Amino acid sequence: MRTLRILWRIARETVIGLRRSGWSNWLVISILAIALTIFGGVLQTTLTIKNVVSSWGSQLEISAYLKEGQDPQTVARTISQIPDVQIVEIVPKEVAWAEMQSHYKVAAVNNPLPNTLHVRLSNPAAVEKTAERLKTIGAIEHIRYPLKLARNLNKFRQFLEIAGLVITASLSAATLIVIGNTIHLVIQSKQREIEILSLTGVSPWYIKGPLILQGASYGTAAATIASSVLWVIHLYLDPYLHDQLLSFLPMTGVLADNGLLPTFMVVLILGVAVGAGGSAWTSGRYIKV
Amino acid sequence: MIRLQNVYKEYNGKPALSDVNLHIGLGEFAFLTGPSGAGKSTLMRLLYREETPDRGVVTIGGINITRLSRGQVPLLRRRLGIVFQDFKLLSNQTVFDNVAYVLRALGVDELDVRRRVASALAIVSLEDKVSAFPETLSGGEQQRVGIARAIVNGPPVLLADEPTGNLDPQSSLEIVQLLERISERGTTVLISTHDVPIVNALRRRVITLKNGQVMGDVDSGVYEYEAAVR
Ligand SMILES: Nc1ncnc2c1ncn2[C@@H]1O[C@H](COP(=O)(O)OP(=O)(O)OP(=O)(O)O)[C@@H](O)[C@H]1O
Ligand SMILES: [Mg+2]
Repeated sequence: MRTLRILWRIARETVIGLRRSGWSNWLVISILAIALTIFGGVLQTTLTIKNVVSSWGSQLEISAYLKEGQDPQTVARTISQIPDVQIVEIVPKEVAWAEMQSHYKVAAVNNPLPNTLHVRLSNPAAVEKTAERLKTIGAIEHIRYPLKLARNLNKFRQFLEIAGLVITASLSAATLIVIGNTIHLVIQSKQREIEILSLTGVSPWYIKGPLILQGASYGTAAATIASSVLWVIHLYLDPYLHDQLLSFLPMTGVLADNGLLPTFMVVLILGVAVGAGGSAWTSGRYIKV
Repeated sequence: MIRLQNVYKEYNGKPALSDVNLHIGLGEFAFLTGPSGAGKSTLMRLLYREETPDRGVVTIGGINITRLSRGQVPLLRRRLGIVFQDFKLLSNQTVFDNVAYVLRALGVDELDVRRRVASALAIVSLEDKVSAFPETLSGGEQQRVGIARAIVNGPPVLLADEPTGNLDPQSSLEIVQLLERISERGTTVLISTHDVPIVNALRRRVITLKNGQVMGDVDSGVYEYEAAVR
């Protein structure tokens, strides 16, 4: 009961502090929201790529696209002689075309697709060796296999992680400075009050609590904005990406969607940590009780 | 109740208090006098732990307060009522809220807060000013609010550093008499003051500081350093 009453009082003081801060509230929240949006976007992209990479990387499949006029049966027979090849599945161009038309609204032109062989291997270590060997077969126009793409995607992800980390870190630092200034102004405006409270035995936590909560509410507000932005982007961008990937690598099927919830949680935690941490640091620095 | 043993405190190499020994018993009422710069405020600040001595021991109620951790300082201050020369009231809060602040910060329930604030305001005769703001009150009334705040939590010790420094003679006398009445209820009261007529009128214990040293300590005394006072 007593603790509850104290918390209620601290919450009221927080609201008073927020009112006192006026326009600088919005400055803090905007900068923090931008930082969190970038951070969340990078995080979400990284997670998705990781997912894709791990599902592709484990796939023991190579797609071989045949030159026009080559007989799929003959080529399939040749390929099945190669060691480590388990199954060779023939996808005639008519079938692939029909499937594509059922998935997308494709203009009724002549079938542009080649005959395709899906080569399944028994051993992941053999993927690249076999790929090299397939390239030498004259009847094959070109090949694609997820492992190679996965490698490239991974390189991109590593770059993204570093860039994202640098951007988030510098924006967070900027946010800390702005939060520090805002809280410092609040502290200055109630310098006398703080002195009086401290002299009358009010505990430091009661004095600092509202300031830290003020920072935490910046974090919450900014995280909410960032999450909404990310959600909207996700809503518009995802179907597009999906189509791109499907048309690029039809055999991988539908991507596993790992959802935005974990990202939102991390964004919220980071926002509150930066907000509350920034004001805790500032009040620790300027309030000597 | 209050004890200083061989207390030494210096600022920038210059002693503000040197080798002070002092004992004020439970429920006692004492004046701390002396010329400007004698070290009165420094001694008070040591008692409410705004400062710590360079050497020596300060105990209140048997507790060595020089050894308190930062977290324990608020606990000490809740057991002390402190009255200031400049009142130190929150200007944006009513008389009631000023007196109630500490209780509320301690999570005391509102009914209890009302009861205790009302009784503190009754002691200082300000029942009719509960919803007034400090700047609408006279100096004497503001200091009475300060005293109500100091006693609202029932502290065993009340410290007042020049409580009448900003008041006219009539209000000054009233304030000191009020503090005397509070001490009659069992509170240990220490008042630092320059105010010669008041010290002389009350004939209570007078501790005289000069150059950071206790120069006199008499049980029903008068102000000894009149020549040095403004
Ligand atoms: N924070 C401080 N920094 C430096 N010197 C200080 C500080 N506080 C007090 N002093 C010095 O210590 C000595 C005692 O000061 P103190 O304020 O205790 O005197 P006082 O008896 O309260 O005087 P007054 O009657 O004018 O209030 C003075 O020489 C003063 O200049
Ligand atoms: Mg003084």
